[in-house]
Amino acid sequence: MRKWIQCLTAFAILFAAPTFTLAQEGDGPLRIEITEGVIEPLPYAIPDMVAETAQAEDLARQISRVIAADLSGTGLFREIPRNAHIARVTNFSSPVQFADWKAINAQALITGGVSVDGSGKLVVRFRLHDVFAGEDIGDGLQLVGTTDGWRRIAHKVADQVYSRLTGEDPYFDSRVVFVAETGPKNARQKQIGIMDYDGENVVYLTGSNSIVLAPRFSPSGNNLLYTSFESGFPKIYLLNIGNLSQQELRTPQGEMSFSPRFGPDGQTVVYSLTSGGNTDLYALNIANGQGQRLTAAPSIETAPSFSPDGSRIVFESDRSGSPQLYIMSSKGGDAQRISFGQGRYGTPVWSPRGDLIAFTKQSKGRFHIGVMRTDGSEERLLTASFLDEGPTWSPNGRVIMFTRETQGAGGRAALHSVDITGRNLRQVPTNTGASDPSWSPLLQ
Amino acid sequence: MNAGQIISGTAHVGLLAAAIFGGAFKAEPLPFEVTEVTAISSEEFALLVAPDQEPDALANIDTPEPPEAGQSPDVPVSVEETPPETAQPEVNEATQPDPIPEVEELGPPPQAEVSDEAPVLQPPEEDVAVLLPETSPQPAPQEAPRVAPQPIAQPEPDVRIDDVDQQAGEPDEQAEQSEPETEETAQEEASDRIVTEAEKLEAAAPERSVRPKTRPTRAAEAPETQTAQESQTDDDAVQAALQQALGANDGPADSKPSGPPLTAGEKDGLRVAVQRCWNVGSLSSDALATTVIVSVSMAEDGKPVTSTIKLLDSSGGSGSSVKQAFDAARRAIIRCGSKGFDLPIEKYAAWREIEMTFNPERMRIK
Repeated sequence: MRKWIQCLTAFAILFAAPTFTLAQEGDGPLRIEITEGVIEPLPYAIPDMVAETAQAEDLARQISRVIAADLSGTGLFREIPRNAHIARVTNFSSPVQFADWKAINAQALITGGVSVDGSGKLVVRFRLHDVFAGEDIGDGLQLVGTTDGWRRIAHKVADQVYSRLTGEDPYFDSRVVFVAETGPKNARQKQIGIMDYDGENVVYLTGSNSIVLAPRFSPSGNNLLYTSFESGFPKIYLLNIGNLSQQELRTPQGEMSFSPRFGPDGQTVVYSLTSGGNTDLYALNIANGQGQRLTAAPSIETAPSFSPDGSRIVFESDRSGSPQLYIMSSKGGDAQRISFGQGRYGTPVWSPRGDLIAFTKQSKGRFHIGVMRTDGSEERLLTASFLDEGPTWSPNGRVIMFTRETQGAGGRAALHSVDITGRNLRQVPTNTGASDPSWSPLLQ
Repeated sequence: MNAGQIISGTAHVGLLAAAIFGGAFKAEPLPFEVTEVTAISSEEFALLVAPDQEPDALANIDTPEPPEAGQSPDVPVSVEETPPETAQPEVNEATQPDPIPEVEELGPPPQAEVSDEAPVLQPPEEDVAVLLPETSPQPAPQEAPRVAPQPIAQPEPDVRIDDVDQQAGEPDEQAEQSEPETEETAQEEASDRIVTEAEKLEAAAPERSVRPKTRPTRAAEAPETQTAQESQTDDDAVQAALQQALGANDGPADSKPSGPPLTAGEKDGLRVAVQRCWNVGSLSSDALATTVIVSVSMAEDGKPVTSTIKLLDSSGGSGSSVKQAFDAARRAIIRCGSKGFDLPIEKYAAWREIEMTFNPERMRIK
């Protein structure tokens, strides 16, 4: 009997042997596959940069704070409070005590030194460290500028850190043009303002004696297109940001021209023109004045936006009975509908990366900012509120800024930003009401 | 006529006689009302119906005599009215006027904050009624109020949120030097899923079930000792068959793991421990499309040897994204392995060398 049981056991093990063999995968090392991780801000530490000259003490602290605000503002990073720091950085050239930073779970460390040289130039040096690897991430970098431009230098440092840690292109050293709104809702005064991406350094480019709408940056960031009611009818104007000179775009004779946007070449402008009660899309070369009609449909075509390579245009049309998104060649011709969800779609904007299209969607009494693939697939709604509209992309295509207006007669418009994952929704601080943002390219 | 008929006839006759003479048909008198009537004579009746006696038509009324002509009637003369005496206030000549008040220039009255704009009722930020799930007609569960009606003290947290995982220190009575007691801390819970604002209020039920915990590691069972000498030969045969089935005779013994392999639960435990620290939140979309295979050598205490973490292979990404993905994988191994992974020491040979494939397909930004 015992023999019989042992033989039966042996046979069972023999048949099960291949399973054990597969589990161990032969002679090689243990192999496992990780398919699910966590999504949380990466903890980092940035002690105040070392002031290497007496004039640089305040600047060193301020620059450190701006860098931290930039990084933490992305939602991808979390600053470890300075009162939790164990080590103190008193010399930029001293070796980093990685164990002290590892003890507080700082995965990245930013150290720097700030000085003002004899000619008044501001010099900022920094290094980025991988604490757990115990090594630097990239080389140290030195930036030189004026003391007045210390914020730009701070943004530049933050851009470098962001890019090295995420692999994304940076976007902190950029500006946003928007419509500043003051006064009650039924008598709003609007003027075009420009500011840093974080709401600082606001400068107004136009007066408030006429209604202005939809400012749009040129690819170089030096010019603006905007719509003004200065003549009583909406007309498109070109504004030079450097000298504030402006000129009206010579569009075909029509009733209204509006919704302009630059092409990636900086010379072509596509816009909407209403003539005889019909609104169609037109293109204009601002260098030689040549124009072209792109659509000829009895419906309303508006809100055009070029693809990054300039070959296609996404726009809004109600030719199917309700506002939907369409894509056509930048030369005009047949258009292909890409939005098929419930609701009304509008204000499409092509991502700088070229892979996504941001849009405004109205559905069941709510407004959303969403993104979809260029073929209309994988639609994702990122926000929901009483009124969200007018998305614009950050230079790296990772963040979307838009207008959110609160309900009621006292409703106020404000700028908000959201990561394309739908996380990190936050308001952009402005002194006045603000709407219709347009994000500049990265400053040079 | 027979006797029956006689008896029947007699009985019937008797019965009828009893009914008639016995009072069976006497009815009870019906109830009636009785009224007493008095007879009166016709004269008395005439007096009763005669009308009342008329009053006297003439009455002695004193009528005034008409006035004679030329005589004027007496006109009542009004008596000169004298004003009623009213008490006048006494005037005190010595009364001094009120002292002049000290005039202090006051500022303009405070202006009330008046706005031309009509007050606007701020709507609730999240309108549950509007945000019903589009796909389900069932109402979404209403959120509980986030503010308690009565202020209550915040309960003590189980552990303090900190950047470092740390177990509470317990005093060791046998230690020569008492170590300071340390508070238990834990890192903040992280999410493995992105919920956009548009999706927040629509989630009426959890979309994913909680992953079951891994099975605890079983204590190594002591091998049974064979006591019977006669079964030794059979056991050797079985062991030989097992070794042959497991490939134990292939190659030299030093270059392959010895001992039992890791169970599926143990491997899952290692996988879960690593993925708990695999943070892809700061990775670019390109890096999230990159799969990396990383090798690492492990020390016997379950800690990874940091210097041995190497990139073996990658797919789906460019050079910079591969570096980002590898850095994230390396951080995951180092961070969660800093205290040693929970691996059975008796199977050290099985996990001395580990290859981990980090595939972020499920974490990708679409």
